[in-house]
Amino acid sequence: MLRYILLRLVLLLPVMFGVSLLVFVLLHLGSTDPALDYLRLSHIPPTDAAIAEVRHALGLDRPLYEQYLTWLWKALHLDFGISYLTGRPVLDDLLYYLPATLQLGGLALACTLLLSIPLGLMAARWQGRWPDHAVRAVTFLGVSMPNFWLAFLLIALFSLWLGWLPPLGRGTAGQLVMPVLAIALMSMSINARLLRASLLEASGQRHVTYARARGLPERQVWRDHVLRNAWLPFVTATGMHVGELIGGALVIETIFAWPGVGRFAVSAVLNRDFPVMQCFTLLLTGLLMVCNLLVDVCYAWLDPRSRLEGASA
Amino acid sequence: MYSWPVNAGPLDPRGYSPNQMYAQAMVYEPLVRYTHAGTVEPWLATRWYVSEDGKTYTFTLRDGVRFSDGTPFDSTAAKANLDAVLANRQRHRWMELVSTLEHVEAPDRLTLRLVLKHPYYPTLMELAQVRPLRFGAVDTKPGQPVGTGPWMRAESRLGEFDRFVRNPLYWGPKPAFDEVMVKVIPDPNSRALALQAGEVELIQGAAGEITAGTFVRLRDQGYATALSAPLATRTLAMNTGRGATRDLAVRQAINEAVNKQAIIDKILYGLEPRADTLFARNMPYADIGLKPYPYDPAQAKQALESAGWALAPGAPVRSKGGEPLSIELVFLGTSALQKSLAEVLQGELAKVGIHIELRAVEEGALVRRQRDGDFGMIFADTWGAPYDPHSFVSSMRYAGHADYMAQRGLAIKNELDQRIGKVLASTDEKQRAEQYRFILTTLHEQAVYLPISHLTAISVRRSSVEHVEFGSTLFDVPFEAMTPKQEH
Repeated sequence: MLRYILLRLVLLLPVMFGVSLLVFVLLHLGSTDPALDYLRLSHIPPTDAAIAEVRHALGLDRPLYEQYLTWLWKALHLDFGISYLTGRPVLDDLLYYLPATLQLGGLALACTLLLSIPLGLMAARWQGRWPDHAVRAVTFLGVSMPNFWLAFLLIALFSLWLGWLPPLGRGTAGQLVMPVLAIALMSMSINARLLRASLLEASGQRHVTYARARGLPERQVWRDHVLRNAWLPFVTATGMHVGELIGGALVIETIFAWPGVGRFAVSAVLNRDFPVMQCFTLLLTGLLMVCNLLVDVCYAWLDPRSRLEGASA
Repeated sequence: MYSWPVNAGPLDPRGYSPNQMYAQAMVYEPLVRYTHAGTVEPWLATRWYVSEDGKTYTFTLRDGVRFSDGTPFDSTAAKANLDAVLANRQRHRWMELVSTLEHVEAPDRLTLRLVLKHPYYPTLMELAQVRPLRFGAVDTKPGQPVGTGPWMRAESRLGEFDRFVRNPLYWGPKPAFDEVMVKVIPDPNSRALALQAGEVELIQGAAGEITAGTFVRLRDQGYATALSAPLATRTLAMNTGRGATRDLAVRQAINEAVNKQAIIDKILYGLEPRADTLFARNMPYADIGLKPYPYDPAQAKQALESAGWALAPGAPVRSKGGEPLSIELVFLGTSALQKSLAEVLQGELAKVGIHIELRAVEEGALVRRQRDGDFGMIFADTWGAPYDPHSFVSSMRYAGHADYMAQRGLAIKNELDQRIGKVLASTDEKQRAEQYRFILTTLHEQAVYLPISHLTAISVRRSSVEHVEFGSTLFDVPFEAMTPKQEH
């Protein structure tokens, strides 16, 4: 098992390399020019001379392969360059903003798990009765509603009408409520629906009927025979939601003026801050791959069958 | 409490992005200040004298001014700042004065002399700009801004806020507010909600702080609002060197066929004043009584007809000698505003038989098309105060600017460029006004531009702010002139 984990971690490197190359090429092949954004933000008229000057200062006038190799060499030494936008080292900026995003994402993940499990169980346990209908209505809404729209509705309700919660910023517990909810609702809804569906599917299996026929108590039937099998898709989905939560943070942080990497990355994209986009994509790739690894490890732990496959691979 | 999309930056007096101009203008001051009338008034310099040949500017500095760290502002400090700009000429050369300035002298404590290579009349205008020709204390570390202005930055938290407090050593009138808290809020909708929830008290600026629709909604909800005088012009340039727009009759007809007021009412929520000329009349040298093109589609049709652009029976588009009257309008695809404006123009001009081919492009491609003159019509807003008219007109001389490319088909283009060169070097006020009159009249009569509206700054405030004022340029927000609601 340990060997397997180590192998997966080592595999991270070529993937990161591939991603960095791909992102670099995509960024630089487009017809976009960060020099224009720099001049626009600086309120300097974009004359040919001014553009050439900035391109030179940013190193954009050198051949592409040279730019990439320079970047790669520095990146291997954990130097991801200077942000075009803030003039500060990219890694410093990202690490400065990361804790705020981890706080938001972590709480949203916790919220997703804490709410989706009881809701899914409730809906499956009382299938076709009112708890099921209620859960399905709420989760249907949650799956369908774009998070930014929800965010504005929440602000309108809790900040403007009721005046209970501050509409933006970071610092107090109250400021966490709305962003966390806005990010978590969709994952929570998907998970709850998924858990409900897989519970129902598992409870219809023959071995469950057999377990009941053996006279096992209903509690034990659910715990050992239904839940155990129903967990698997849920775990996969949760792993995938981590990416979704970070993606949600991109938009939500901007709306709630939350000082996190998401908002930082959005402004980098809008202003073609290439070094930040490069580093951010790598960070995200690494994060997602580690999450996938965690999911696979959980899988192996939950399902002996996949452990055998993993070992033979 | 105010808000801005990003932090104020390190606030280097000569720094560009990420240094934010509103904040640099709070901390650093110029020798002379740009006024709402488009003139300059004494500021850190109380008097100045321009030599007969227009090459030497001698300033008398205001006595008793100190930087916020207590060091005196004198000619030595001033010279050190300007020398720092000259030491980095390459970086600042976009400003014509920087490439024109030969050297700076400080003959005595309160006298500063600027020696130019050749006469350049907008010298004072450019000295008034927010950067790079303002003054910071000489020995300061980066990130610790020390200026002579009414405010100093007390605290900055990355991604959250910048807090400014009054400069206790300020030489001028004390600002009415004790401090200005600037929160970092990137999203315009969130900014509006923050105002409604009381998290910010003032939204003001000319950079799309909130959309026109949001502005109107807040106004209707009873918030006190204000609009500034015109600061720049939304306009399209027409290519005189290519396609159907080579024909003066077509360009004039376009000016007559577009119902600008309807566009303003429908798309700009009626907020911006209609523009009939390239520069608003409050801009320097621009109040020359140009006769606006009236909105008169019938007249436009007739003019096209007599210029040979005939409408075949049943055809929607006019043509002349087999060439259809079709014009390519290039706009920035990511700009919702340009897209709506372009679509309405397409509709308006279709009514007189002109076909507009819409071409949405990405920003890099847009600049390339401007440079290569690869357009029929293109959005080419003026640069606004304090660059209008001199810097904007100056740029018309250089290939690579949309304006140059648009004008190159004019028979009179060479003379225009020569006159622009002359006006910038002119030392005589009357002559200068005459040259400008010629340049602006020619551009107007040749219908090179289709001005739509004048860009203004907006301001929305909560009742805790009693009085607001607008800056005289696109870039400054004069917090020191604002007052809080009086407690009774």
